[in-house]
Parts: sequence; structure tokens; C-alpha cells
Amino acid sequence: MNYRKNKFHQETFFSIIISKLLKINWIIVCCVILLCLIGVAFLYSAAGGEWGPWAKSHLYKSVFGIFLMLFIALLPPKLFYKVSVASFLLGLLSLLFVKFFGVGNIQRWISIGGFNIQPSEPMKLVLILMLAKYFENISKIQLNKIFAYILPIICICLPGFIVMSQPDLGTGLTIILLGMAILFYVGISLKVVFFFLLTLISFVPIIWQQLYEYQKDRILVFLNPQTDALGSGYQIIQSKIAIGSGGLFGKGYLLGSQSRLNYLPEKHTDFIFTLIAEEMGFLGSISIIFIFCVLITSIMRITFHVDSLFSKIIVFGVGCLIFLYLTLNIGMVCGLLPVVGAPLPLISHGGTSLITVLIGVGLVLSINVHNKRI
Amino acid sequence: MKNKSQIFLDQTISRRFFFLSFLKSVVVGVIGWRLFDLQMIENQKYKKLSDDNQFNYHIIAPERGRILDRKMRLLAGNMDGFSLVLNWNKTLDVDLILEKILSIININQKDIKNFYFQIKSYKNDYPKQILITNNLSQNDVSKLAVRSTHFPEISFSMSKKRVYPQGSIVGHITGYTGMFSKIDVQNGKVISIPGLNIGKRGLEKFFDIDLRGEFGRKRNEVTSKGHIIVSQIYEESKPGKDLQVSLDMSLQAYAIKRLEQGNYNLTSIEKKSIKSQILKQKQVTYVDKKYIYTNKKNKIVDPQSGSIIVMDIHNGEILCSVSSPGFNPNIFSNDLDIEDWNELKNNPKAPFLNRSMSGVYPPGSTIKMAVALAGLESGIIDYKTSFFCTGNKEFGTSNFHCWSKNGHGKLSLIEAIEQSCDVYFYELGLKIGIDRIAIMLKKLGLGEYYNIEIDDRTKGVVPNLEWKLKRDGIKWTVGETLNASIGQGYILSTPIQLVTMVARIANGKFSIEPSLIIQKNKKKFKDLNINHAHLNFIKKSMEKVVTGKKGTARKYKIGVPNIEMAGKTGTVQVVRISELEREKGLLKNEDRPWKKRDHALFVGYAPVKKPKYAISVVVEHGGSGSSTAAPIARDVFKNLLKV
Repeated sequence: MNYRKNKFHQETFFSIIISKLLKINWIIVCCVILLCLIGVAFLYSAAGGEWGPWAKSHLYKSVFGIFLMLFIALLPPKLFYKVSVASFLLGLLSLLFVKFFGVGNIQRWISIGGFNIQPSEPMKLVLILMLAKYFENISKIQLNKIFAYILPIICICLPGFIVMSQPDLGTGLTIILLGMAILFYVGISLKVVFFFLLTLISFVPIIWQQLYEYQKDRILVFLNPQTDALGSGYQIIQSKIAIGSGGLFGKGYLLGSQSRLNYLPEKHTDFIFTLIAEEMGFLGSISIIFIFCVLITSIMRITFHVDSLFSKIIVFGVGCLIFLYLTLNIGMVCGLLPVVGAPLPLISHGGTSLITVLIGVGLVLSINVHNKRI
Repeated sequence: MKNKSQIFLDQTISRRFFFLSFLKSVVVGVIGWRLFDLQMIENQKYKKLSDDNQFNYHIIAPERGRILDRKMRLLAGNMDGFSLVLNWNKTLDVDLILEKILSIININQKDIKNFYFQIKSYKNDYPKQILITNNLSQNDVSKLAVRSTHFPEISFSMSKKRVYPQGSIVGHITGYTGMFSKIDVQNGKVISIPGLNIGKRGLEKFFDIDLRGEFGRKRNEVTSKGHIIVSQIYEESKPGKDLQVSLDMSLQAYAIKRLEQGNYNLTSIEKKSIKSQILKQKQVTYVDKKYIYTNKKNKIVDPQSGSIIVMDIHNGEILCSVSSPGFNPNIFSNDLDIEDWNELKNNPKAPFLNRSMSGVYPPGSTIKMAVALAGLESGIIDYKTSFFCTGNKEFGTSNFHCWSKNGHGKLSLIEAIEQSCDVYFYELGLKIGIDRIAIMLKKLGLGEYYNIEIDDRTKGVVPNLEWKLKRDGIKWTVGETLNASIGQGYILSTPIQLVTMVARIANGKFSIEPSLIIQKNKKKFKDLNINHAHLNFIKKSMEKVVTGKKGTARKYKIGVPNIEMAGKTGTVQVVRISELEREKGLLKNEDRPWKKRDHALFVGYAPVKKPKYAISVVVEHGGSGSSTAAPIARDVFKNLLKV
């Protein structure tokens, strides 16, 4: 496939690109573009009908991200296979870097050339790559032996706990859940699953000790929001009011009173779904979920068409990642889960998660295009 | 070729994949259901919560109706005032803001206390406007307004302050407004709105609902920080109705002054002897700031207290109703000082008592017409019945005296009324009995409330056999009938009852009832049902009181033939005089302590030829009816009839 190896092949550089582009799953691309545009539209609304400060930057980042995604789609999956271990180590290093040299009180951000990058987001992606490579190598012989899972579990838990200690409970949980889903997917024996769950449960008190006060508050408040209607419960109560008051058709675009009058917290990031639900109603919020479902299903379908475990794990992992983002976020804003901090992929304002998801989709597209064993 | 383990792995993967997909569908289903529940099922609940967030309703108090006199002069109106309001929300540091405000303007302690009370009692978290004070001066407003950038949380609002331009002249009638109490809210009389004033006394209380008008509502759109974005009128308020009362302010003003002066002299405070007296005395009541009342011995005295009521005998409209001492209702509109309040409340002369409506006095000789009418109507006596007065009447073991020590000699009925002979009426009372007297008194309006538009009124007492038995469980004695026939003893009446009595006699046809409101439609009164000839006879005798040679009020004629007044004097003993005191010789009224002096009463009507107005004058401890009350009545009539 690599055009350099086929120097004398009659196919030109451009014809290869065009043939690749034609193989791209355009349903996925359309869903992605649609969701990005929805994001722009509602960030415009969140700013009270203005392009600044969120809608414009989201638009730029989306355009950049989509081109990046298409570019990655054209790259051969072998490349990802090669860089996976290195990128995982790089991710881990950058996590440790923000842990010790991070900006501000909450050590999440790393500043490179004027851009603030949150290393915990790409971490999810490199974890998928890492696990994919590991299981690709180990698949044939040892998958039914327990010790084969020791390294992956370390790979999952190490970044997971580092991120949780940043503290970023939501992202940390996403990483762990994502890793577990992949382990489960590749066929980890159920005994190990139970063992893992048990250890996790036994670690709960220790993790609880490690949590910051505000994180404990959030979880306690989730269990009973009215206990602290002004403090930690305020967000979730106002969020539920906004969603509930939307009704079937919503209050109309730009007319959401809860958001316009600033009752909604974080309406441009984690709580953007609330704004959509308020302004567009039940039909709007269900449509968003529907588009995500189409996107996730289209991605998941690809796992049946690829042969290598590496490709399968990557596609499955990215699909799972989007699903986890979606359910954590919506579950959180409508009061089903504690407020842990999880963005709505492609719609929430926040460059790192946007680009991460787009790169992930790019990987999926690339695998779909170069549908061949590595 | 796939090997065995590869196939096995593929199977596992697809099994696991489907299991996970199933799990995911369940999760998506749960989320979908949750959204359906929030947005479709519980929509109304959240919509309301959202509206509560978004909008903030404020009640707009309507402008209170004015009170006007019969010539449209203002008795109670509204003045613009400025209120300071805090746009409160839970994030504000109230203490700091208040401290900042207090460094610029002064706010009295009562308002601050009230303000904190409101904050404490507000249980919601939604932003709200809270009144800080409504006593801002124009100066305060401008001081705060130039610094408005430092105080984004406060705003001004125009408020209306109740003013009573006539001051204390009609204080008892208009009453005043004040903050509603908790009991008012519990009784459902008012909705609890800070700063709302309701009528507390007098007409303000009686017509509170009419005067108040209807509340409007203002809808503010507020951000979570409490900033108001849009403010619009949601429901218009309807101003209260104006109330036109039947009082004539010029007469009222004259009457109060005339009553307070009584028979005293008006002396300038510049006088030397007066100046030294002022220094010695604790409390001095000035008249127009420059004068002072003095008695014949040139001593400073308090103004007379009592009541004057003038009533139209055809429709019952009250033209003048004064009660002295009075109070200035404006003190309640500005913040009432506790000291001022206590002083008014503990004043022994009870300035809050509306003597005209709820002051009770024995009517004394002023009911002699009624006793005579009772005799005539029952046929027990006729015009010619006469008795002999020796100055006293012995009855049983007691001795009943006439005011004239040496007696009046033989008197006919008309002469007895003219000279107000007590012995004649003792004899008359004996003949007709207390029950007949009581029936006539009630017919003429004593012992009755009427539908007068004021809440604080008193019924008085019209005793009869049954009443005594019920109250004390003792039989009525004939001696008590003797006392009752000259309006002493158990019998008690209010000035409004006395003036109604005279009005009914003067009217002759209807039982007139008093009213404070201009009668737009002609009111129908019940028939009085008393023989006209008898009434005319009684009226003639009342004329004699003023015009007769021996009439008790002969010194105080109006002096114009066609518009002379007729009436009856009354001097009411306040304390029992023992036989011993009588023998020693009675002390002159002025020499007794104030509390023991006689009440001076006069009831009458004018003009005699074509009666139009009835009057009752009560001067508390004012001496004799003929020397103190009669001249006041004459002067009021003169002022009223412009002669």
C-alpha cells in the first residue's frame, strides 16, 4: 500500500489519496461534522448569542481537528502500531510532568506554545494503542493465562490513578473504565474480572481517603442533592431545572432562561447538554443522543470487518471512549451520576478533548480504509 | 488459516462484544428514559422552578385614596417619598453593604432592625428586593446616587407617604395608617408586603379596603446574581378611591379653637407675669406659638378638653366633630418616636380618645326634654302640669336637691325646662317611671351605636329595671329614677348620641342617624313616631332656654331674630356632694381640683324658625353648661350661619 514501495506503479500519489478518501466511512465523518457544528451553534447560544469567546474558537478547532482526522485516516495503521509504546510512555511522562510542574492549583494542564493541553485526554487514546499492541503480540498463545493481564492492568491503573490524583475523578474513571472494557473485550477470564472488581471495591475506602473534600462533597451530594442546595447541590439542581423546563420542544434557540441568566454552571463545557436540552427540548436532546448512537454504532460495526486484534481493539476502544464520554456527561447533568467532570465529546468547549476524539475517529477511519492485517 | 485459539478468541470477542453492546443499549435506554421523565413527565414542575428562577415578582402597592372634606379640602393625601431597596441575593455581604451605606447617609435604628428582621425571616434562596428604609430625603438620594457605581446592589424606589395637612384638627376622624401587624396578616386582612401601610384608626381603618385600591405586580427578570435585566408591569395597580367626608374644615378648625379656649383668656407669652410662670411649669400648651390660655386669675391653664359635634338635622351629615385634646396623625407617617408615643399614650387626658364618638358622660339636664316627652307621650302629664320647687325634694331617707338652692317656686313644664328645674323633673320622673323614660331616650338615639363610619364608638348606658337586675342582681330603686330623670346616676351617653337626640327633636319626623360621609343619595330614615304637637311644645321650651327671661342660656343669644338658636344646658356633677359639704357651702367650680369640677354640656339647634343644624358641646370639667358650653355653641353657630 505504501506508495514509496510502489515507485513504478501506475497509481499516482493523488490517485491513491483519492481512492483512500473514497473508502472513508462518510457516515462517521458526517456525524462528527454535524456534532461539531451543533457544538458551535450552542456555544454561540451559551455566550448569549455571540461568537466570542467559545463558538469561534470551537469552530476553528473543529475545522483543524477534522482535517487532522482526515489526514490521520490516510496514514497506514502500521504507523500507529509502531508509535504506540513510545506514545504511551510519552503520555505517562507528560502526566507525571503536570503532576509535578503543572499550572495552577489543579494540576491538569501543560502549556505548549500558548496552547494549554490537558495530557489526561490523549492518555485515553494512547492507552488504547498500548493495549492494542500488547494484545496483538500476546494474543495467540497466552490470552487465557492470568499473568498476561498483569502488565495491561498496570498500564491502565497507573495513568488512571495519576489522573484521579490531579484531581480529575471523571477522566481518571474514564481511563480505568475504558481499560477494563478493552480487557473484557479481548476475553479476560471472568474470574479475573471478579478478582479485579473485588480489589477495586476493597480499595474504595482508601480511594475515598485520597479524595479531595470537594470530590467527596460531590459524591455525597449526588446521593442526596437537597442536603446542600446552595453549595455542591446547586449545580445539579439548576441543571435538572434547565433540562426539565425544556419540555418537548424546548424554549427555543437562544431563549433558554436558565443559561441566559447564568443559573447554569459551566454551561459551555460539561453542562452544554443542559443548555441544548433546555433550548431544544426532549426532541433536541434525544436527537443528539441519536446522532451519537449512529456514530458509535458505525464505529463498532467496523470491528467485524477488520481481522487483526490490534485494529479491533483500537476501533472498539475509540467507540467505547466516545460512549463513556457521552454517558458520563449526560448521566451527570441529568442527575444520574455524581458531578465528576466529563465533557460532552465534540460539543463541549475544550480543545484537548475535541482533538483527542477527532484523532481517535481518525484512527478508526484509517483502520477502516486500510482494512488489512498488519 | 486461523488456528484454534484464534477461532476461540474470535468467538469470545464477539460474545463479549454483544454483551457489552447490550449493556450499552441499556445505559442509553436509562438515559433516554431519564430525559423523558425530566422533560416530559415532570416538565410542569421544572418549568415552574425555572420561572421562579427567571422571574421575580414584586407587588406594587397602589396609591392610597385621598380623604377630602365637603368642600374638597384635603384631609389625608400622599406625598412622594424615596425608599432605599436592596436587591438581595444569597451571595451578598449584607453587613458590608449596610456599613458602606451608613458611612454616607443616616438610617434610623428602627429601619435597620426591621431590615435585618426581613433578611432573617426570608427562607428562600431566590433573589429578592428588600426594603432598607423609606425615609430617604432628597439629599440622601442624591448622595447615594452619585456613588451608585459603588452600590450596584441597591436601588431607589418612589414611595408614597401619608400626609394629613390639617394636622391634629381632624386627627380623630381621619385616624392614621401604619405597618400591618402579624394579627392583621393572620386575619387575612392584608398580604404581607414590606412597607405597606394599612388604616389603623378612624376613617383610614373603616374604609381601609376602599382607600387601599388594588395591588399590581411587577415582573423582574433576574440573573443568578440578582441583577435585574428587564422589569415590566405585569398587572397594573388600581389606585384607591377618594373619600369625601361631610366635615367642613373651616368650621372644624374654628370649633376646636373655640372649644379649647372655653372661657379662658388668650394671653401673649411676652407678658412678664406669664414668662415667669412658663419657666416654673413643666409643660405648657402654646396657642399659635405666641399665646397661652390663662384663667381669670391670670394663671396659665391647659386648653379645655371635650367635644363639639355639629350635625345636619335633615340628612345626618356631621359637619364638625372635634375632640380635644387631639393628636397629630402625621407623627405616624414619619417614624414614630417611642418617647412621643409613650407621652401620648400615658397622657392623663387621653389624646387618642375620640370624645365625640366614644367619650361617655352623664347627659345631665340635656335629657330633660326626653323625660318631658316621655311624660307627654304617655299622657301622664300635659302642657299645664305644674309642680312646686322648694329647692329640694325629700324622698325616703335621702334629700334630692335642685341646682337652685332656694327653689324655683311653682313651675309649669315649659318653665321647668327653661330654668332646668331639677325638682320638677324629680316629680315627673316619679310619675312616669324609669322604663318609659328609657324607651323615650332610646327612641331619641341614646344607648345606640348607629352605623357611623368609625370603629371606636361606645354605646353608653340607658338604664331600666331589667338592666339593673341583670347587671347587679338588685332591684331598681325609685331614688335611682329621680337621679335618672335629671340625667345623672347610671345613665351615660356620648356626644354623638346627644347631638342625634337633638337632631331628632328638631327634625321632628325622622329618626336621623349620624354619618361622616357626604350623602350622595337621599337616605331614608325611619319615622320618629312622636306626636308633632308634643315635639313643637318641647322645641318651644328649648327656645325659651335661650330667649326666655329666666332661660339658663339667656346670656348667649345669637341676637339675630330669625336665626336664633334653641337648646338646653346641662351641668353634670362628677362627684357626689355630701350633705355636710352642702351645709358648709359649696366650693366654687374653679376652686375645686380639675378632676372634680362639673362637666359643662349644651345641646341645641339653629335656626329656630327653620331648624337646620344640631349641636352638642361637652366641656370636660368645664364648669356649668350655661356659662361655659352655651357660649361655645353660640359662637360655633354664628360661625356656621355666618352672622
